Amino acid sequence: MADLASPALIEGGELSAAKSWRNLEPALLGSLTIVVLLCAWQLLPQLITISAGTRLFFTTPSRIAITLWNMFAQGTIWLPLGVSAAAFGVGLVLAIAAGLPLGILLGRSRTLNAMLDPFVTAFNATPRLVFLPLLLLWFGLGMWSKVVIVFIGALFPILINTYEGVRNADRVLINVVRSFGAGEWDIARLVVVPNAMPYIVAGLRLAIGRAILGVVVAEFFGSEEGLGVVMVRAASSYHVDVVFAGLVVFAALSLLMTAGVKMIENRLGRWRPERASAA
Amino acid sequence: MAEQVAPAFLARNRNLLLGCLSVALFFAAWQAVFLFVPFDPLFISKPNLIALALLDLISSGDLAHDLAVSAVPFFYGFAAAVLGGVVIGMAMGWRPRVGYALDPLMTMFYASPLVALAPLVVIFFGVGVAGKAILIFLLSVFPFIFNTAAGVRSVDRLLINVVRSLGGTEKDLYLKVLIPSVLPYIIAGARIAIGRALVGVLVAEFFAASEGIGYAIARFGDLFALDRMFACILVIMAIAVVLTEGIRWAERAAFPWRLGQ
Repeated sequence: MADLASPALIEGGELSAAKSWRNLEPALLGSLTIVVLLCAWQLLPQLITISAGTRLFFTTPSRIAITLWNMFAQGTIWLPLGVSAAAFGVGLVLAIAAGLPLGILLGRSRTLNAMLDPFVTAFNATPRLVFLPLLLLWFGLGMWSKVVIVFIGALFPILINTYEGVRNADRVLINVVRSFGAGEWDIARLVVVPNAMPYIVAGLRLAIGRAILGVVVAEFFGSEEGLGVVMVRAASSYHVDVVFAGLVVFAALSLLMTAGVKMIENRLGRWRPERASAA
Repeated sequence: MAEQVAPAFLARNRNLLLGCLSVALFFAAWQAVFLFVPFDPLFISKPNLIALALLDLISSGDLAHDLAVSAVPFFYGFAAAVLGGVVIGMAMGWRPRVGYALDPLMTMFYASPLVALAPLVVIFFGVGVAGKAILIFLLSVFPFIFNTAAGVRSVDRLLINVVRSLGGTEKDLYLKVLIPSVLPYIIAGARIAIGRALVGVLVAEFFAASEGIGYAIARFGDLFALDRMFACILVIMAIAVVLTEGIRWAERAAFPWRLGQ
């Protein structure tokens, strides 16, 4: 309490300065760390001598930025990025199309849930990557093996969160709707799905992360086109800056999409009264 | 009496029985479908062939060898991730300024697909234990950092004050308040980290390795030995389920008050 009371004694102008410092401190400290780290990385070759062998694997932030700029300016990035984005998009849409109805079904039927639970648990716990050699045999090196990896990765967060949301639906509301003569379809439309929406969107956020991971990994091991392929080829010819440029692109896309979904999440949750939020 | 025991048993274990039934049905259907569809061993395998391959892999010791080879870097990488993650997370949770300074950086790392660094790690550190362990560490350290920090932040100030007022020593503070509050978060982090660590093992071994369970899957795939590949995939699935569900079970047993969180 003591340190809360003391700013009130300070003059008005100083008070607001202290206050704005307190609000700005997290952002300033956070960006400072990143800037310091980048500078240190940039200056490392000047500070210590790097042996010729290590220099092959070494790059600096400025070189990565120039490479990134060139990739965009010359347009070389668009084709591989488009190939990766197509696999990502198709896989994610399929995962939503399958995960939503399945999640609702499992949430509404105890028997079905008990029967499918072992499969959901097993596939959710297993890294999708184990199936890649098999998928390469089945679908070849083209887009579809990537799509399936993305699909398996993104399906389970959506399915499990939808299931949790459906299970959390208010019993009283369901009974009210049912007393007014609603069938299972009306219950889903009027009560269950609106109630599960925050859970579903949270699941979507997780799914996006896993889907991007799926694209990268699938392209590393069995593909002919895509940003991941560009990165692997660059790594094997010691173009380390290209590898990092690709990583930056993937990370930026992942952060952007996650932030977008987060915004939708907040927008959807606005009308909702205070209650436990989705995991 | 006797006839009432059976329904009670059925009712109590209904979910478990239904689960076992559906798994059995799944494998039976898989086996039966080739009575009607022509069987192509270069494209798919059958449960009886997979079982034979699994027995063969076990009796020849190949499976145990590959698993042991993969387990060593897994252990080192994961242990390093626990240690590093808990220390960094403690600092971030305990000191607000450290938290402010590191949070954006760590979020960036966590959000970016670090698997993409696998080729560099492999080129730099090789395909031996070191390369694999570093990849596993990179992938699995972040859940520990974020969960430990969240756990430390959630420690009830009131409990700390109570221990201090009642004359508790620093040791009491750690044993009675800090560790019991933070441990559930760390273990929840471990559950997430296990999956990511397994990805690390597989990525490293798919890339370039000469032994290990991930290498075995890739090699059997290249050789079109689908029965063996399926056997290895099932083994990995079993390990993943046992590890994650084991941690979940330990969570429930050790911290029953956290049920539903």
